[in-house]
Amino acid sequence: MEILRCEGVRKVYGSGDNPVCALNGIDFSVDKGEFVAVTGASGSGKSTLLHILGGVDKPTSGKVIIDGIDISSLDPTQAAIFRRRKAGLVYQFYNLIPTLSVQKNILMPLTLDKKKPNSEYFEKIVNTLGLSEKLDAMPNQLSGGQQQRVAIARSLIYRPALLLADEPTGNLDQKNSGEILDMLKLSNRTLKQTILLITHDEKAALEAGRIITIEDGQIISDEQRR
Amino acid sequence: MWKDFSSDYIKNNRLSSLSVRLSAFISALLLSLLCGLFYNAWKYEVERIELEEGAWHSRITGRFDQKDVEAVQHFANVNKVTISNDASGLLIIFDDMKDILTDTPHIARSIGAGPEQISYNHALMAMYLIRDPNDKAPRLLFPMFVVILLMASFSLIAIIHNAFAVSMNARIHQFGILSSIGAAPRQIRICLMQEAFALCTVWILAGNLLGIAASMGLSQLSNILLGNDIPGRHKAVPGCHPLVLILTLGITAITIAVSAWLPARKLSRLSPLEAIRNTGGLQLKRPRKVPVLTFLFGAEGELAQNALTAQKKALRTASLSLISAFLAFTIMQCFFTTSVISTKETYFERYQDTWDIMAVVKNTSADEFSETEAIRKLGGVESAVVYQKASAKRIVTEAEMSEEMKSFGGFSHAPDGAALRMDDGWLVNAPLLILDDDSFLEYCRQIGAEPRLDGAVVRNLIRDVTNPDFRHPVYMSYLKTQPADTAVSNDVTPDNPPGAVSILRQQGNSEITAELPILAYTQEVPVLREEYASTDYYELVHFIPISLWKEIKGLIGGAGEDLYIRVIGRKNVSLEELDTLQSQIDQLIGQSYTLESENRIREYELNNRQIQGIRTAFGSFCVLLAIIGIGDVFSNTLGFVHQRKREFARYMSIGMTPEEIRKMFCVEALILAGRPVLITIPLAVIAVGYMLKMSYLGVDEFMAEAPFVPIVIFMVFVLASVASAYALAWRNVRKICLAEVLKNDTMI
Repeated sequence: MEILRCEGVRKVYGSGDNPVCALNGIDFSVDKGEFVAVTGASGSGKSTLLHILGGVDKPTSGKVIIDGIDISSLDPTQAAIFRRRKAGLVYQFYNLIPTLSVQKNILMPLTLDKKKPNSEYFEKIVNTLGLSEKLDAMPNQLSGGQQQRVAIARSLIYRPALLLADEPTGNLDQKNSGEILDMLKLSNRTLKQTILLITHDEKAALEAGRIITIEDGQIISDEQRR
Repeated sequence: MWKDFSSDYIKNNRLSSLSVRLSAFISALLLSLLCGLFYNAWKYEVERIELEEGAWHSRITGRFDQKDVEAVQHFANVNKVTISNDASGLLIIFDDMKDILTDTPHIARSIGAGPEQISYNHALMAMYLIRDPNDKAPRLLFPMFVVILLMASFSLIAIIHNAFAVSMNARIHQFGILSSIGAAPRQIRICLMQEAFALCTVWILAGNLLGIAASMGLSQLSNILLGNDIPGRHKAVPGCHPLVLILTLGITAITIAVSAWLPARKLSRLSPLEAIRNTGGLQLKRPRKVPVLTFLFGAEGELAQNALTAQKKALRTASLSLISAFLAFTIMQCFFTTSVISTKETYFERYQDTWDIMAVVKNTSADEFSETEAIRKLGGVESAVVYQKASAKRIVTEAEMSEEMKSFGGFSHAPDGAALRMDDGWLVNAPLLILDDDSFLEYCRQIGAEPRLDGAVVRNLIRDVTNPDFRHPVYMSYLKTQPADTAVSNDVTPDNPPGAVSILRQQGNSEITAELPILAYTQEVPVLREEYASTDYYELVHFIPISLWKEIKGLIGGAGEDLYIRVIGRKNVSLEELDTLQSQIDQLIGQSYTLESENRIREYELNNRQIQGIRTAFGSFCVLLAIIGIGDVFSNTLGFVHQRKREFARYMSIGMTPEEIRKMFCVEALILAGRPVLITIPLAVIAVGYMLKMSYLGVDEFMAEAPFVPIVIFMVFVLASVASAYALAWRNVRKICLAEVLKNDTMI
């Protein structure tokens, strides 16, 4: 079942004499439950693609359909609600809210919708990610790896259609990087979570079932590994 | 390091250090202005008391000679001893005022005087915050000034501290780099302290001097504005005590040193990595529960409160200033309202029909004054009374006391100064009101007593001293009369004391007596603007005619220095008519005597103007405080746009809509502006409750005059200003390009 489809997505920054084309005709689709890695050199356009898929940015042209919704036509409020419910975003620098405890950070997407968490699911996530002892801590009391796990837990709490991870191991040491990738794989396997991992780390990309490589804003390869 | 780093930094970042300079200047200016004004107001009040009541600290009444003066002069703490002008006692000035209450009884004993002969200059002592436990007057104004001064000073000190904290925190990253390349913590501290003093020294000095000059200028301005309006007002001599200058300079310098030292120390203790990593983002050390705001506004309420808590330091000045301003404004308004109700009830309304013009003829005795008839003949004069006051003593025996008085314990509650136990009764104060003969005869007729000039009328009333409510006192007969309930009785029988005579005793020597026939004991007093037994509840007031005074004054003495003239004009007299009448009286008497006169309507208007003036002055000060707070809100909301954009980007990235962020922003503004109101309301209720208790006013009386309108206007002003600051900031903050903010790694 298709969960994401990009059709002729272009993104051009600037205007006039020096426009910069970050994405140039991106076409691909992802099925539910897939674990896809998007790789490419720095400046290839992979982060731009992630921002567009996450509803953070809009394409200049083309369509992005996630779970049946064309997110390229959403207004800012609709885009925010889309991010809250359909896309879980994980960033390199965690992007946690420093004024809220770990538990409140994880539950924030639900809180914004005034929804109560499913306690069984919440416990499953925090136990899986090894956060059950840290729920009352503040983000600045955690290590980098722990903060990233909180970010993953937060992105999973709403059971989003798509989990978008932008260089989630870029700020972590080898041990923590390995753990985070294991967590992503675990969530993909046990929760059937669709994951799109943006990384320039080949080793990390090899953990995915499919690798899409981008260069100069275009897909140059789309390799199914298993 | 100073040459290479700080001086260059200051030169190249003039704008960013401007807030520190301005904060130092404004704080020094306001602090010295405030202290200067306070000092000048205090100085004026002390001068006024010394002029009106004398500069003495304590008085021992009685007949004393030069030998006694010398004996007192030998006491260690005594600065000066004089015999009063009317020779009624010794006036003592001490070196150290705090020992007045303990030293005076020793001195009195050494010259054979009893405790009942001691009195203190309570008004003057109150100006030095010395209270006699027997002084029942509230004297709240001076402590209130001190409290407001302290609150304002604290707020100003906080401004400087905050300016430094914010300025230094903004440079953590920079000092992290410096530290990473080898700057020692001590070097960083010294560097920051040098910067602080280089930035502030000139501005502090300028602010202090300007503030002192402004306070003296304002004092001079009060002479110009009020000089001719207030009878008896002396010219204010603006001054600046060196201590005030040193104190304000010292406080500002110490504040700056501490304000710079605290963040400098914190900054120097950070590891280079911590400092470099610092992104200035909002952080909380532990989770906070905000159930009320979460309940009211949902997640936005919690985020808003947390954001404010995380910005606590940056917003400290704003919060403190707004809270102090609103609190001071509300309490000041309530205080003046209570004071106005109290003055209106106890003075203007009570004495509404007892006078139109009052004149005080200086250093004149009633029997020397010859213009009484001429005053009565002036057009528009319905009634005129000329009177003088004198002090004497009298013994009240057990048999003379009324049953009602005995029922509350007789003299058992009386302090020594009010009633002294003697062998044959209690020696009490017996103030004399010496009326001109015609007025006395008229008074006798008014109360139904035989109009004669050879006797006295005694005010036969005493307050229930067990009931401290001075606003609703319960009065009863002081002495036994026959029959008890009638207003007047001169049918004294052998079985029903008091007798037909009153034996008055000299104030200083109770052995010297004068015997006065009693024409009546009455509960009705002459129509005069006088209060009887207001501080000494046990005094037994005697009204006598001038003719009788001439006969006994040689024995009794104790006459006051001044003479009083009370004039009543026609009913519903206008201000213009009273002004004309007043100037006629001034012309008539002023040529031969030194005179101070006032008229009721002008006095009422002047009183209102004075209260309005003080209200405006305090109100302006509160507005100034609020402006400081609001200015800080503006500088925070507009100055940290970058930081707020990063914060909002975080929220948006996890699905918070722009509307929800705007709601959070509004809640934040509401908390900031609403907090002063929420803190003030319970404190104001407590303060008003205390004021009402102290002044024995009812809640309904206060509510009828409660200053809701100015308080609401002030509240709306604060709310609107904070809302404007946030609205302006929102215009900048809302333009978030989420992708751009998220792209910048250093921001997240």
